[in-house]
Amino acid sequence: METECRADAQLSDYAARVLEQVAVAPGCRLLTVSSPGLARAASPGQFALLGCGTGYDPFLRRPLSFHRVDLKRGEVSFLYRVKGVGTQWLAERRRGDVIPVLGPLGRGFRHSDRGKRGLLVGAGLGAAPLLFLAERLAGQAWSLTVLLGATTKTGILRADAFGRFGTVKTVTEDGSTPKKGTILDLLQEELNGGGWDTIYACGPRVVLKAVQEISARTGIPAQISVEERMACGLGACLGCACRSASSPGYLRVCREGPVFDAGEVILDD
Amino acid sequence: MIDLSVEVAGIRMQNPILVASGTFGCGEEYSPLLDVGRLGALVTKGITLKPWQGNKPPRICETPAGLLNAVGLQNPGVDAFIHEILPVMKGYGVPVIANIAGFTKEEFVEIAKRLTGAGVDGLEINISCPNVKSGGMALGTVPELAAEVVEAVVESTSLPVIVKLTPNVTDIVALARAVTDAGASALSLINTLLGMAIDIKSRRPVLGNVLGGLSGPAIRPVAVRAVWQVSQAVDVPVIGMGGICRGEDALEFILAGATAVAVGSAHFRDPLAAMKIISYLESYCEENGINDWQKLIGAAWKNK
Ligand SMILES: Cc1cc2nc3c(=O)[nH]c(=O)nc-3n(C[C@H](O)[C@H](O)[C@H](O)COP(=O)(O)OP(=O)(O)OC[C@H]3O[C@@H](n4cnc5c(N)ncnc54)[C@H](O)[C@@H]3O)c2cc1C
Ligand SMILES: Cc1cc2nc3c(=O)[nH]c(=O)nc-3n(C[C@H](O)[C@H](O)[C@H](O)COP(=O)(O)O)c2cc1C
Ligand code: FES
Repeated sequence: METECRADAQLSDYAARVLEQVAVAPGCRLLTVSSPGLARAASPGQFALLGCGTGYDPFLRRPLSFHRVDLKRGEVSFLYRVKGVGTQWLAERRRGDVIPVLGPLGRGFRHSDRGKRGLLVGAGLGAAPLLFLAERLAGQAWSLTVLLGATTKTGILRADAFGRFGTVKTVTEDGSTPKKGTILDLLQEELNGGGWDTIYACGPRVVLKAVQEISARTGIPAQISVEERMACGLGACLGCACRSASSPGYLRVCREGPVFDAGEVILDD
Repeated sequence: MIDLSVEVAGIRMQNPILVASGTFGCGEEYSPLLDVGRLGALVTKGITLKPWQGNKPPRICETPAGLLNAVGLQNPGVDAFIHEILPVMKGYGVPVIANIAGFTKEEFVEIAKRLTGAGVDGLEINISCPNVKSGGMALGTVPELAAEVVEAVVESTSLPVIVKLTPNVTDIVALARAVTDAGASALSLINTLLGMAIDIKSRRPVLGNVLGGLSGPAIRPVAVRAVWQVSQAVDVPVIGMGGICRGEDALEFILAGATAVAVGSAHFRDPLAAMKIISYLESYCEENGINDWQKLIGAAWKNK
């Protein structure tokens, strides 16, 4: 079920009905909603603002990236970690419940539609926006390697799903997967092999900063998905500032991002 | 359909629902979702003389029933506003009120001069911004200083001058009287309440700017009180704002003495908030057989 404010508008506040909600790892959930209009409009790397709770507390909506879109069935999935009040409320939604979902928002991943070699880097929950991207790229004959890293084995998310679109390599800091180390170790090994056209990365700032540095050093174009606290999600409130690398001042993560070219922004601590 | 039109500071509006400065961009951001042309008026983000970067992030922190913001007046400056933003805002066919922020009296005057004849319908002097180090709220907390700024701006422009007041003062009525005597044609209240939040994990302030302005339903009773007190003390119209989310809230402000109201943070929760409030007022008047809705203004203190 969905409502559209204006028939011609793609961006809308959709009343999305929950189809399914499953735990994929401790504290991590996969939420699938029915919203054909949103499914049609969404692209990889874009996100939505989900209304949480019915009163004024929590007050702000929560930004979540599109994890998967099933166009035929009109379904949209989110992969998220239960962190605080907002995501806790989302975790309690059951089949049939309705969630207000404002989207699609922001600028997603850019890519050539002629197959190339892509390296996807997903650190922890950073896997969330990459599955949608992997499916899109694989559909355009890209050859993909997906690197998934986490502190421990249960933090490696959706490896099977990624396996349908490319080669998956995993790493954990505690060695609970065959390979022990950080995702940056794994990334360095892959780069030594050479031949990559683009790196797409999502995860904690330390990982994104390392990817920025690698991209600058090797000249391999990279795109990073950045997070910042948001209020409007539409570019109106200027709340989600990220420092611009090319001019003094800030860019809006919700509008010029959340996916930036690696050289476009300066990630402060 | 019931006529909800109203005149504030000589600016004719089709209904008394405005958007609060800094929360609605230039309208374009919301235009895919709603008909911006249905609003009573658009109010710009604070405009400074020179381009201004704003504060370092994080700029937003959710708090109980509201949020703290420390955007810090990020804007491209008055000249870029006139050439790049104003044409977009005027395209919606509703009055545009320019929220202006100087760091000195002279800057306020200069911004006002440049905007005079540029196509805006009125000025809202922001002497109440908590997110900048000088000017802003400092000028707005001392009645004599505030009056000096207002007098200078009024003398320098033919545009209606609305003055936006801060609630971060001991006596908002004294401030309201001072700026009205200095020539303000209307008052906007309230701006955000100064606040802060600390992250107990990092043991550091959440906001990049440390301090921020609190808005949303959490501040509504403070705003209603301010409108109630000020509207009884001055003869100019009051534009009420602070936590208005629903039609009922807008009505509460009108009953407290507001001639018009502005919707701000509510848009972050429901982008259609202002539209729903307009519809509510229309049906409220119809259902209650109210022909002259302006009789409701200040009814809470007029009908003792
Ligand atoms: C563009 C974008 C896409 C995102 N995609 C995903 C995703 O696919 N899966 C996922 O698990 N998480 C994602 N996040 C992070 C997610 O938004 C936060 O984890 C979530 O808002 C936390 O809300 P809460 O109420 O559970 O936590 P609380 O800590 O109670 O939240 C308090 C406030 O801080 C904000 N906040 C807290 N952490 C973050 C954060 N990392 N980024 C932005 N705001 C934050 C909340 O939105 C809320 O306003 C994304 C963030 C952004 C900006
Ligand atoms: C993100 C944000 C930015 C704001 N920017 C401005 C501004 O530039 N100038 C101004 O006078 N008020 C500014 N305000 C204050 C609002 O206009 C309004 O007075 C206040 O938020 C109370 O209304 P609300 O609770 O409905 O948001 C801002 C508020 C928010 C939340
Ligand atoms: S969240 Fe409002 S501008 Fe990005």
